[in-house]
Amino acid sequence: MVAPEYTIDELMVVTLARAFDNSVRAFNGAVSFIPVSAFQLARATHAPGLVWVASSLGVDPYPSKIPESTLDSALWEGASHIFTSPTDFWVYAMSNRLNTFCMRGAQIDRYGNINNSVIGGDYHHPKVRLPGGGGMADLSCFCSNIFLWSTVHNPRVFVDKLFFRSGLGYGDGGDHRERLGLKGGPQMVITNLCAMDFEPKTKSMRIKSLHPGVTLDQVQESTGFSLIVPEGAIPTTAPPGEEQLRVLRDVIDPTGQRHWEFRHGM
Amino acid sequence: MVDKLVSLAEAAALVEDGMTVALGGMSTQFHPMAFVRELARRRVRDLTVVSMVCGIDVDLLCAAGCIKTAVIGLCSFEGFGLAPSFRSQAQSGRIRVEEYSENILLCAFQAAARDLPFMPTKAGIGTGIEGLHPDTLVRINSPWGEVLACKALQPDMSVIHAHEVDAKGNVRVLPKPVWLDVDTAQAGKKLVVTAERVVPHETFRADPFKTTFSAFQVDAVVHAPKGAHPCGMLPEYGHDANFYIAYQQAAAAGELDKFLETKVLVPEKEYLKLW
Repeated sequence: MVAPEYTIDELMVVTLARAFDNSVRAFNGAVSFIPVSAFQLARATHAPGLVWVASSLGVDPYPSKIPESTLDSALWEGASHIFTSPTDFWVYAMSNRLNTFCMRGAQIDRYGNINNSVIGGDYHHPKVRLPGGGGMADLSCFCSNIFLWSTVHNPRVFVDKLFFRSGLGYGDGGDHRERLGLKGGPQMVITNLCAMDFEPKTKSMRIKSLHPGVTLDQVQESTGFSLIVPEGAIPTTAPPGEEQLRVLRDVIDPTGQRHWEFRHGM
Repeated sequence: MVDKLVSLAEAAALVEDGMTVALGGMSTQFHPMAFVRELARRRVRDLTVVSMVCGIDVDLLCAAGCIKTAVIGLCSFEGFGLAPSFRSQAQSGRIRVEEYSENILLCAFQAAARDLPFMPTKAGIGTGIEGLHPDTLVRINSPWGEVLACKALQPDMSVIHAHEVDAKGNVRVLPKPVWLDVDTAQAGKKLVVTAERVVPHETFRADPFKTTFSAFQVDAVVHAPKGAHPCGMLPEYGHDANFYIAYQQAAAAGELDKFLETKVLVPEKEYLKLW
């Protein structure tokens, strides 16, 4: 059998989807085309019990396409319940009854902490003022299962030291998060080059699998800190299956919104 | 009961230079933009504006020179890019950015609304947000575990946009409020509500389950059709992509002042014809 042809956005969506099982009760924020595709793909294939709350408001929807904004009400099409944010969404997020969230930022460090606030200068006179974390500081503390994604893997994104910590991963590493009284932490990072997880003791980022054609040297050169390399041969990220591609292309994202971040170099 | 229906100009005149004003809305939806435009037309100065997940509301007020301090969780135009005036004025130091997060600001509003000194949360623990605000965010060790105490934040005025009001000041957000406007509204010392429609008082009595705010809680209501534009007002209209694109193009060309003068800060009736 000839392996189906696919593109990098599809490999990222499928790899993320494979990490989601029936215990996932997920929600999404703004500009989250890759996670929104992945939640739906997992639900449509191997994890039919997965719960996804679109835009953190529309429970278990079946939208006919992904709109241009992942906060748009078109994403809630077919939902069984429209939440009220403070009394439904925030209550369930604070208590980890919604347990899975995907984050992305301008900078990510080895412990999966994220900066989306300021870069350079000092905080009140920054060289670059970014939007801010929004709910990132909150949800990164409440949620036990955090997934990080970046469509750009380079040393400007994966930095040795964040300029500002807008969202919490494993903090200073080791048991820091636990000592803060917070559950779980980042589970996986998916980029255009590889998938990574976190070494259990140090909580430092570790190579999990390399995308087809990508070398370990290439990933390390594209990362601003030393990645932990597992012993033995590093697996190659499994390519998408035919059925996964069909569902993603024809059912979940027929208008190709998952390309958005690639177009905008984010 | 006293009639609380006033004009947009009368409502905006309640805002004085240097006041703290909280705005409802979320990202590209529900922001009380007609009120924001009127503040910009009046060239109000030195405002502290609190808007949890904001965008064009705060950016427009930055561009018009109205803001001294922006208290935010996030400010962006989502898929339409970064907020240009917010960004440049934060970088130059023209405005001060007090960055919190959505949940922390929600807690601060909830504390104010309930006359509590603070509201506890686990949000933001271990992040840089905590370190930015030693005076308003304090980790406290309660007998039942450590929490972050968010000091109550009471704006001088809260402003939200709704679907229907009556002249007495009753308010409906239809079919129900979904974002954070209820807490924003309840936190303010005063509450001004702009609305798509003014309906007869009997409409509220006919279906009181649909009332979002009672008149006693509301200080002024304003008839502001398309009052969220260019933001969306679900379920009645979506955001106006053309406006966001034109605004970004004007900002990129360094012509935002001219754009505001000719396309935005014209009298509200003309604005509605233009867009």
